[in-house]
Amino acid sequence: MLESFQKSLTWVHTWFGLVLGFVLMSVFFFGSLSVFDREIDRWAIPETRFGPQPLPSYDRVLAPIFARIKPDADELAMGEARVGKPLPAGLPLKSWSVYTTHRDPVLTLWGEFAIDNPNAPEDHVHGHITIDPRSGAALPGDPLAIGSRFFYPMHFSLHLRWLSLGYWIVGLAALSMLVALVSGVVIHRKLFRELFTFRPQKNLQRSSLDLHNLTGVVALPFHFMFALTGMIIFAEIYLPLSETTFKPFHDAHERAEAAAKNLPLKPAGVAAPLASVDAMVDEAKRRWAARDMPGEVGWLIVEHAGDANAYVAVYRAGSDRVSLVGQQIYFEGTTGKVLYEAPPPSAIASISHWLTGLHLQHFRHWLLRWLYVLGGLSGCVCIATGLVFFVNKRKRRHAEEGIAGARWADALAVTAVLGPLTAALAMLVANRVLPGALPDRGEWQERTFWAAWLVSFLHAAWRSAPAQQARLAPAWREQCWGVVLLAAAAVIANWISTGDHLLRTVSARYWPVAGFDLALSCTALIAGAAALRLGRNERRQSAGVERDDALQDDDGALEAVHG
Amino acid sequence: MAELLRLAAFVSSLCGMAWLALAMPAHWQQVRGGARRSQRAARSLRGLGAGALALSLLLSLRADHPTIAPLVWVMMLTAAAILVAVTLGSRPEWLRPLVAFVPRASTRDSNAA
Repeated sequence: MLESFQKSLTWVHTWFGLVLGFVLMSVFFFGSLSVFDREIDRWAIPETRFGPQPLPSYDRVLAPIFARIKPDADELAMGEARVGKPLPAGLPLKSWSVYTTHRDPVLTLWGEFAIDNPNAPEDHVHGHITIDPRSGAALPGDPLAIGSRFFYPMHFSLHLRWLSLGYWIVGLAALSMLVALVSGVVIHRKLFRELFTFRPQKNLQRSSLDLHNLTGVVALPFHFMFALTGMIIFAEIYLPLSETTFKPFHDAHERAEAAAKNLPLKPAGVAAPLASVDAMVDEAKRRWAARDMPGEVGWLIVEHAGDANAYVAVYRAGSDRVSLVGQQIYFEGTTGKVLYEAPPPSAIASISHWLTGLHLQHFRHWLLRWLYVLGGLSGCVCIATGLVFFVNKRKRRHAEEGIAGARWADALAVTAVLGPLTAALAMLVANRVLPGALPDRGEWQERTFWAAWLVSFLHAAWRSAPAQQARLAPAWREQCWGVVLLAAAAVIANWISTGDHLLRTVSARYWPVAGFDLALSCTALIAGAAALRLGRNERRQSAGVERDDALQDDDGALEAVHG
Repeated sequence: MAELLRLAAFVSSLCGMAWLALAMPAHWQQVRGGARRSQRAARSLRGLGAGALALSLLLSLRADHPTIAPLVWVMMLTAAAILVAVTLGSRPEWLRPLVAFVPRASTRDSNAA
């Protein structure tokens, strides 16, 4: 019974792991980069290389900028696609908001505009302006924030916007991750006995299985919590109950909540000016301090902006907590009177905030950030070694039977493992070498990203041919050299284009850029070491001394189990 | 102060993971060569390991807000386990000082290992 149960789970682990492993690799890799998304933004937008700033005065600095926000062109295009006809000029304003953390030097101001969509009454489009809070000047040209506006959305949506397909694929991948973890634990016969086992000197198959088990088991709490909380964050997309089955309950709850909080749910339709928001912010800070949790503003929303029913919500930044923001206080827009002060969250709300906060990590804790990167990269190692194991196990048999399966799995593994790295690095190099005046500079960087990934695939398809003869595919080694070149080029291009070389950024202790340049340098070194080692193995193999597909030592049972 | 506490918590989880690993016959062999370790030594290594991991949690709780500390601790355990595994795989002798206090097993109970 147990035997056949393990066998069927082995099948599940192997095939779901293979198919969704290609996606999961990107999710883990870009997730790891997203831990430092704001720091990558500083690297990619040199004019924003200065220290984090607190929220500037609303009345003097932010108010005139909010008034200038218009809907973004791409948001309008998507809105028109949803409605099915052109949108009128001068869409009615719904709200203004601004969100900041202890890591943000620049500030993005958002506006939300209602659109008339009979199928979705709450439908709206966004507009934004990013400013330097020190001067209030808008950032010229709206440069692409590679970390927070490209790598981060890549992590959870793969940039597949059509039908929100990316969210669904990533959600399915997260679910498969949970399945892979549970089935992996069941089919792993020596979970505890081999907890610390890593034998790098043994053959490829044994050492990659060791590494697969090691990174899968010891980082299991991380993998499990992140796959789970990732799905919780997007639960509204996967199970849109509040918009379907429970729509009446949702609407009734919304009305009851607004009534209980004394907040107007709809605009009055009468224009009215806003009272001093700075005074509201001061009052909020005073109340937080009185509760023995002094803090800064993390999120500020002006709902029904410009209307007599306007209200302002001021949220405390959760830098010292796991929850993103909280302790919100609502003010009447026209008078500045406190309408409602949120009580301490219920147990369920606290758990929910903690779960999403631990994933989105806006807290101030550099050690935990780096530990998250370690967790994310160990996920990458786990998936990559799983793919290597899969290919190696079948390579020899497929070669003898003339099947090309293992060869193509190998090519896709190279594309999935080294492709994202190549694409991200090529994008960073493009970010530093493309002329500053180039129109659509951000789009050209994105095109470079996808083109580099395509090149990685084509190269992998071409140079994985030896895998068909059960040999190591040179694609791995050659793309490692590509990574070395691109990572080094990124560091050098940053130096030449901005003058910020490592000696300068390290001595100035400007860690966002110094840290990223150091990470790029380490990437180059590790990829170089890997390429040299792969080269040695290829030479040894062509000399015909080594089989790398067998688990020769103590137990063949493991091999059988691992499908 | 918080930084020192976190460092202490990490060192403690590292020692804890190493002791737990060394309670296993295979890893003991890697570190102490042919000398087998007694059943009693294995038990005390396991106890020490568990104690060190618990201490590391206490130190984390002293360093950080109770909502953040468990996250830091769990991630430290992961980092420590990876480091111990990699050390055992490449430089097992580096862990020898951690078991310097365990005497060579006497012939009487060595079979029990």
